[in-house]
Amino acid sequence: MNENKEDPSGMTSMVDTWLKSMGDLLGNMATQWGATQGQQQPWTVAGKGASPQAQATMDAAFKNWQSMANAMAAPESMSALLKGSGAMPEMLLKLSQSSLNGFGEMQQSLSERFSRMGATAEAYEFQDIDENIFRIWTDIYEKEFKQFFQIPQLGLMRTYQEKANQVADKYNLLQSTLAEFLNLLSLPFNQTMQVMQEKVGEMAENGALPDESRVYYNMWVKVLEGHYMTLFQTPEYVETLARTLNTLADFSAARDSALEDLLGSLPIAKRSDMDDMARELYELKKRFRILEKELKK
Amino acid sequence: MTQSKIPVDLILSKLAEEAEKVQSRASKASEVLLEDLDTAIAQTPYEVVYQEDRVKLKHYLPRTKSRYKTPLLVTYALINRETMLDLQPGRSVVERFLDSGIDLYMIDWGYPTRKDRFLGFDDHINGYMDNIVDFIRERHKIEKINLMGICMGGTFSVIYSALYPEKIKNLITTVTPTNFDTKKGLLHVWMENIDVDRVVDTFGNLPADMMNLGFLLLNPARLMIDKYVGFMEHNDNKQFVENFVRMEKWIFDSPDLPGEVFRQFIKDCYQGNKLLKNQLEIGGQLVNLKKLTMPLLNIYGKFDHLVPPEACDQLVKHVGSKDTEDICLDTGHIGIYVSSKYQKEFAPKIAGWLKERDQIPRKRAPRKKTTTDKTAAGANKPRRTKKANT
Repeated sequence: MNENKEDPSGMTSMVDTWLKSMGDLLGNMATQWGATQGQQQPWTVAGKGASPQAQATMDAAFKNWQSMANAMAAPESMSALLKGSGAMPEMLLKLSQSSLNGFGEMQQSLSERFSRMGATAEAYEFQDIDENIFRIWTDIYEKEFKQFFQIPQLGLMRTYQEKANQVADKYNLLQSTLAEFLNLLSLPFNQTMQVMQEKVGEMAENGALPDESRVYYNMWVKVLEGHYMTLFQTPEYVETLARTLNTLADFSAARDSALEDLLGSLPIAKRSDMDDMARELYELKKRFRILEKELKK
Repeated sequence: MTQSKIPVDLILSKLAEEAEKVQSRASKASEVLLEDLDTAIAQTPYEVVYQEDRVKLKHYLPRTKSRYKTPLLVTYALINRETMLDLQPGRSVVERFLDSGIDLYMIDWGYPTRKDRFLGFDDHINGYMDNIVDFIRERHKIEKINLMGICMGGTFSVIYSALYPEKIKNLITTVTPTNFDTKKGLLHVWMENIDVDRVVDTFGNLPADMMNLGFLLLNPARLMIDKYVGFMEHNDNKQFVENFVRMEKWIFDSPDLPGEVFRQFIKDCYQGNKLLKNQLEIGGQLVNLKKLTMPLLNIYGKFDHLVPPEACDQLVKHVGSKDTEDICLDTGHIGIYVSSKYQKEFAPKIAGWLKERDQIPRKRAPRKKTTTDKTAAGANKPRRTKKANT
């Protein structure tokens, strides 16, 4: 009863039985192993069985396992084992909990990142999704992906890897900004087509449809020009233009910097070397001209 | 299913008719394009009389006896080339000036390379321009010369004349931006937001292709589509093709712009509007427009999309001269110099204006009594400011 109170699940008797049967099994296996080693095996060299050293090792191993099993079956060992097994789930829980916490944090971080993507998109009107899609992508890239290229690099090649990452980052940014800019430039074409359809429709209804294709073309160019003039003065266009130029400059600077590293190993002058020399020459010439003018005076 | 309002059948039948015309034009066009075309530009003879680094001074060979006391120096912009003033025989401001008897010099700024990236306003104005002006003064043994500036070259000329008023007799500015505080021109709107430091620090000089693309984007419908549609419609006309190609050659013959010039032009002019405020500093000297006391002729285009009238018409109000004249022509930035109509007005107007102030007195037949030439004496009298909207 006491045992049952301490171990309501019957775990003790179950483990006890298992250990005893394991002890018997190992004892039988040790006996069998000795018997079989006494007979000649067909694949062994004639007149020779397993080496006596190997047999002795196996005998010792089986006897160790058997005595271990018998010792474990003793009531005091059983009690210790059960205590340990009681602690086991707690330990496992802690282990798994810390792993799960780490995973959860990562999951949460990713979820937040994805939810931020949603927030980024919400800032724009989705009714204008065609117009805004490139801007949304640029923003998502800048806020969510750019930092992967900013991860600090380590080791001997860190500087070069960092520069390569910068080139990749600036290139991505240039591509997305350029797409945005080109998309803006294409908008007047769409608008002009709509206007043209309306105008031509009106003319057709009024029976005043021009015969010459040149008339349609002139109308189209004029409307297109008007749309461009309107677009070019909008703050959105001015801002996108400036951003495109900036990203182009940033990409060129990153690319040049990486290329200069490559050129450094070749026996040719780098652009920065030439720039330094040109600046020195420029300053020398300037001083020379000033002196020349002073002398003339 | 909704039917389109456009009667496609009708349009297609008309298109078919026109397709025949196009086919016939195309066969003629192939003949024209395979012929020997005369597309050379800048053919008027000249000699290079001075050179410093990449900068040259052209002196055009006179066609007639000089009728002016003072030679004229033309300063073109650092953007594009001065060859625009001499596109082809019969359509050349240079020819018209020479025919008027003007002794003509012109600065060729050359093609800046990467080593020129550090050259700024100071180097171009106090350096190259001043050396060239001194060279002409010495060559002709005169104190002052006449100066004419075009676009950015006009801005340089205004600055130069304010810094060295003792060396300039008459100043002519054409399509010259001096007031940058306007939203009328797209360039003015765009340049307000540009991060010029980032561009210059990265590229050194401003690449010509980038500039050209910018200019094309000022009006893509006309400059990137309509212009070439026009070419396709007239490419069976040899003369049209030759003229068209000449213009294309000029437009895309663009030197890079020295980085420091670009930086200063954008920061001090487009973003700071310092010239009109007398706050512009060149080589440690403040540019004071009140020092512009010489006669000033200011010409600009009503339909100029690069330098709109608002960017030009403030100058005369800010200078110290009492002899000023504003002329606004009904044309654009380039049309002033190359259109057939304004070829007949622009150069003769300048020649006439100079003549009033700089004509060599005509020798009169000997008389018994010596009299003073009142006409010549009167020519140098200052005129009142007048605004002529042609």
